[in-house]
Amino acid sequence: MAATLVIAATVWLSLRGLARVVVPGVTRDASAPLVGPRVRAWYRGVLEPLEDALVGARVHPDALTWAQLAVSVLAGAVFWAGWLFVGGWLTIVAGTLDVLDGGVARRAGVESRRGALVDSLVDRWAEFATFLGLGAFYRDSWVLVPLIVACFGSFMVSYTRARAEGLGVEAQLGRVQRPERYVILGCGAWASDLVAHLTCTLTGRPTQVVLAAAIVVLAALSAWTALERARHAAAALRQSAP
Amino acid sequence: MTAGVWRPLGFLILMLGFGLRLDSEWQGVAGVLLAAGAAAGGAGLWALRRDTAGEPFVPPVRER
Repeated sequence: MAATLVIAATVWLSLRGLARVVVPGVTRDASAPLVGPRVRAWYRGVLEPLEDALVGARVHPDALTWAQLAVSVLAGAVFWAGWLFVGGWLTIVAGTLDVLDGGVARRAGVESRRGALVDSLVDRWAEFATFLGLGAFYRDSWVLVPLIVACFGSFMVSYTRARAEGLGVEAQLGRVQRPERYVILGCGAWASDLVAHLTCTLTGRPTQVVLAAAIVVLAALSAWTALERARHAAAALRQSAP
Repeated sequence: MTAGVWRPLGFLILMLGFGLRLDSEWQGVAGVLLAAGAAAGGAGLWALRRDTAGEPFVPPVRER
């Protein structure tokens, strides 16, 4: 109950902060990410003092990238153990570290192509670690199938963009990109465990139905985003063909 | 560290504490994390309070 109250207070404070964010000249279309520019601007604002502190303490962005991997592996391990609230929260922390490393690199003026490569590769390993832990948790359940689809879809979203950009086509579009994956999986697990604890006195046993629904949604949207990017890249290459 | 750092840090620790309290048998660790998170988050929120040291938030017009 205390956790629910703290989360409710946090949501209220977040919505209050979000209402104050104004992002001018933004248009939404069908292929825009689910997490819109307003939420992104608000979250960057929340993280700004942390970025300042990290730049001031001369923390290298690579350290944050590796910390993201470590937290994701830990998230996978706790998912495996069935600690869904902790796992979901660590997934959100890993996503936050993913945002922070880029921000700190830009602010400290140490952006590099090597850093971008390491970041992209570590992101894939980190995602896989989280999915592996969830897979172990759902090893005897039908949820394993949508989970595998979600994992494959997530990797295809990134691979399609990388392959298209290698051929000279910009393909950073789609409803579910990396931040959305962190939000759906992290908040899904977090909320699922909370709901399970709150309702188990009524139902008699805990059910992780919220996380199962989040995984099904993630599987569908990731696959759709990968197809959307592929279609966009193929159309752009067809137009540019001699 | 500034208040802007204490708030998210406190929330992070608090949520880890809640998670361990809900899911694990590490109730002692959970209690320590909950106390530390509440202290850090409280320190951050305290810095958000409006400064009401004797003066109204909107100063009255003294001279027209």
